[in-house]
Amino acid sequence: MLRKCSALIALSALLGACGGDETVRETFPLCADDPGPAPLRRMTRFEYGRTLSDLTGVPASVADQLPPDEETLGFDDIADAYSVSSLHAARYLDVAELAAATLAADATRQTAVADCDPSAGDATCVSKFIAAFGRRAWRRPLDADELQAMQQIYADTADPSPTDGLAGVVATILQSPQFIYRPEPTTETKVAPLEPYALATRLSLLLTGAGPDDALLAAAESGGLDTESGLLAQTDRLLAGTRAAELFVHVATQWWELGSVPTLDKDRALYRTWTDATPGALAEETSLFLADAWQAKPNLAALLTAPVTFVDADLAAYYGLPAPAGAGFQRVDLDPARAAGLLTQGSFLAEHAKADQTSPVLRGKFVRAKLFCSPPKPPPPDIVVRPPDVDPRLSTRQRFAQHTADDRCASCHLLMDPIGFAFEHYDAGGRWRDIDGGQPVDATGDLTGTDVDGALDGVPSLAARLAGSAEVANCTATQWFRYAFGRAEQSQGDLCTVAKLAAAFKGTNGDGDFKKMVRATVRMAPFRNRPPEGMQ
Amino acid sequence: MTRWTTKRQSGQEPSKGSRTLPRWSAASEARRLPTQLSRRAVLRGAGGAAIALPWLEAMAPRRAQAATGPVKRFVVMFSANGTIPSAWAPTPGTSETDFTLSPILAPLEAHKADIVIVGGLEQKGGGGDGHQNGMGGMLTGQMLNSGPFAGVGAPPAGWPMGASVDQRIADGLAVPTQLRSLELGVQVGSADNWGRMIYRAANQPLPPDDDPASVYGRVFSDLHTDTAVLARLRRRRKSILDGVGAQFTRLSARVGSADRQRVDAHLTAVQEIEKRLTTDLVVNNPACKNPTVSAVSATANDAFPMAGALQMDLLTMALACDITRVASLQWSRSVSQTRFTWLNITQGHHDLSHRPDTEPDAVANLTTINNWYAQQFAGLISRLKATPDGAGGTLFDNTLLLWCNELAKGNTHSRQGAPYVLAGSAGGALRTGRSLSYDGQGLPHNNLLVSILNAMGVPDTTFGKPDWCTGSLTGLL
Repeated sequence: MLRKCSALIALSALLGACGGDETVRETFPLCADDPGPAPLRRMTRFEYGRTLSDLTGVPASVADQLPPDEETLGFDDIADAYSVSSLHAARYLDVAELAAATLAADATRQTAVADCDPSAGDATCVSKFIAAFGRRAWRRPLDADELQAMQQIYADTADPSPTDGLAGVVATILQSPQFIYRPEPTTETKVAPLEPYALATRLSLLLTGAGPDDALLAAAESGGLDTESGLLAQTDRLLAGTRAAELFVHVATQWWELGSVPTLDKDRALYRTWTDATPGALAEETSLFLADAWQAKPNLAALLTAPVTFVDADLAAYYGLPAPAGAGFQRVDLDPARAAGLLTQGSFLAEHAKADQTSPVLRGKFVRAKLFCSPPKPPPPDIVVRPPDVDPRLSTRQRFAQHTADDRCASCHLLMDPIGFAFEHYDAGGRWRDIDGGQPVDATGDLTGTDVDGALDGVPSLAARLAGSAEVANCTATQWFRYAFGRAEQSQGDLCTVAKLAAAFKGTNGDGDFKKMVRATVRMAPFRNRPPEGMQ
Repeated sequence: MTRWTTKRQSGQEPSKGSRTLPRWSAASEARRLPTQLSRRAVLRGAGGAAIALPWLEAMAPRRAQAATGPVKRFVVMFSANGTIPSAWAPTPGTSETDFTLSPILAPLEAHKADIVIVGGLEQKGGGGDGHQNGMGGMLTGQMLNSGPFAGVGAPPAGWPMGASVDQRIADGLAVPTQLRSLELGVQVGSADNWGRMIYRAANQPLPPDDDPASVYGRVFSDLHTDTAVLARLRRRRKSILDGVGAQFTRLSARVGSADRQRVDAHLTAVQEIEKRLTTDLVVNNPACKNPTVSAVSATANDAFPMAGALQMDLLTMALACDITRVASLQWSRSVSQTRFTWLNITQGHHDLSHRPDTEPDAVANLTTINNWYAQQFAGLISRLKATPDGAGGTLFDNTLLLWCNELAKGNTHSRQGAPYVLAGSAGGALRTGRSLSYDGQGLPHNNLLVSILNAMGVPDTTFGKPDWCTGSLTGLL
């Protein structure tokens, strides 16, 4: 049976009509009526560093020299937010020269690129190097004009040695828009399928956070991406690699607002066990947890509820856990009555807290905004917002009582604080506590206004409800759409895409499988097609 | 060669591992260079005797600055989250030159004759939330466009609709410097409209560089690169950047109009760095030395004072070497959560700034924080006063400094009576040693920006959003 979503149906109807039934065979590509805009995207620092490392052997961390990416909607790849300045240009120049010098000093890699040794200046081999390196870096073959332009750069810069010329070519290629940006120029006048190399670029950056490898470019060249089976075969190959796991860590870290955990700090007079090493260890713990989840059990329930984590001896001591067997970070089981996936990790708990106290507001707001995609309204502009003072005689719950005592605050804070109170067994550094303000911790709370409402007592009770929520699954699909397409959902076609992603994510069992959602993404029309130039 | 070393904040020990940074970033060049060669300074002796290397002698055009009056310079310093107005405003006396400095501005006592305190203006701004539009309007006098950054209680906003005042000043410079302007930051962090104040044009934020080591490598490269190597490097980069620019030009013709704007903006940026390759650094000031910088974290909270001190050192030297004449120093960002632990204040600055006036400890701590920023501003003035200008006098004599804030008051987000302090006379254009209050006159800060332009020799009569601006600021110049 064939069923096709109509873009005219509202999102809620779509979820009901089209979601959840994997036995339905659907046309390919999906949601073809309106692919939405396709603004010119720039490689993020994350993508740029990884791609540069593949191409030249420099460490991916060279990308840290670039100005930070603009971040909005929680992600680093939203095309509308980018800006460019002469500082950007200066940094692209510095890094390109560094990468070019690294490659120019590496005869083995040059030979691997060109399939001959170009370092002595053999003209035929230099031409092969230019064509081969250009194809990898620009993710498509260079046309005749481009090859000629790069030959000229070689001639101008091969002074005193041929490797100087190779470095000159590499530095030029790496600063050109075909590398830094993701141009998909088209002469079509209506929505049309992407040409295969552009599709390969989208696929590789989406799944691995780096430019295409040789196998993917070869597939593009040979027509291997023109069929659904060919495209999915490449998809599955890339999803099986470690690069895909790293990409998942990168995306989930941004979704959970954990990007700046490594520079977190706490009031050390109040949090005496917090050291300079703590925030980096907390970030590492979360990265390892996410990468493990991707490999072993890539579903939403695991992220939200799994009573496991990764610690080394120092971090175990910080948490008050027994030291793990074995050196370095090890996977450890936690008490399921206390622990629930990311929600009880120090990174999440410390990020969503103040320097000197916990914040039921920040923790509750995160759940509303990032898991239910329903951010509470900000405070009225005439209210003087004031986090309550730390008072050793009062619990956090008591100090935040004013939020619910004042009617104007209560309407929104009742949506946040009662969720946040369920986290009260975890202090602002993410450590378990039984006593707060001289009193036993009361971690009861309430989840309201959702499809999984109910009383809460501690984080595991919240996590179980979130893991069973269709609204959380839909929100997860929305977050993924924003990252995957580098923009906010805005059109009916976008809502169709989000609904399809959500349906794939939930699957027949409602298990929230990330790999299935990622795999579904490449079948979508907005992924495989693009609008004509100027139709944005 | 005399080493120019960094000044440090009082009470701070020099950090361990003080070092001279790598002098030149391309590894291949660094390997080829004998170290001693690269340390040869490209500068002129006090008597004008050339000790510059031969290519400079042959190639450098002489600047005709004597014919156009003294070199003027403009420096902006920003601090965040508003002030405590009652602890900021000076106590007036019998005239504008007779006033007593407030608790916050007390650190400027040594420079009292050289500053102008400007109170009572409304810092205009619009679009986005109070912090966003305060930050965006502060130096542009413009609204924010709609855009992708979702603020608190306001529709999402983008970047301002026009250039900032320092960039307008840079437009007016008769002689091109190596850098059109220099943007420095201290733990500014992420890129959004809460964290940007300098705009090249509408929608074109200029990001500050937070890392002193990176500033050193980029800004002072011509001073610490051997001249023969530098000449070769320039030729090489010219070829490469010409090639890069050609690719941007080619792509520009093939994409739709929205994308073309992005491609063209990048092309402009490439052309700006290419211009530096043909702009020789001619140092006429013996005070110009290749600086050294200590290792310092660009992100660790407690390194904030040290990183800022280094940035001020580098900014001063960039002016002394005439690498640029327009510079800014941005301490953190609007909604800054810096924790002033070195002042024994552990609550984040923004949280603190939201506490009510009725809480004496919060008021005291915010007063202390703003007083600390006044110390930094005083330190910047002192650095300029201590550095000779090649043409005689000190750098300070021909410089105009502006200290500003995105808000007047943190707990209300009010911008009425935003705190401005000017320092220096811009070569005699500004009468200093005064405290001016425009309370109750309903004047926009756009007028202050116009007068700053006029003091810097730019004869504009309006700046920013036209219907906000009513001309220059009466009584300032």
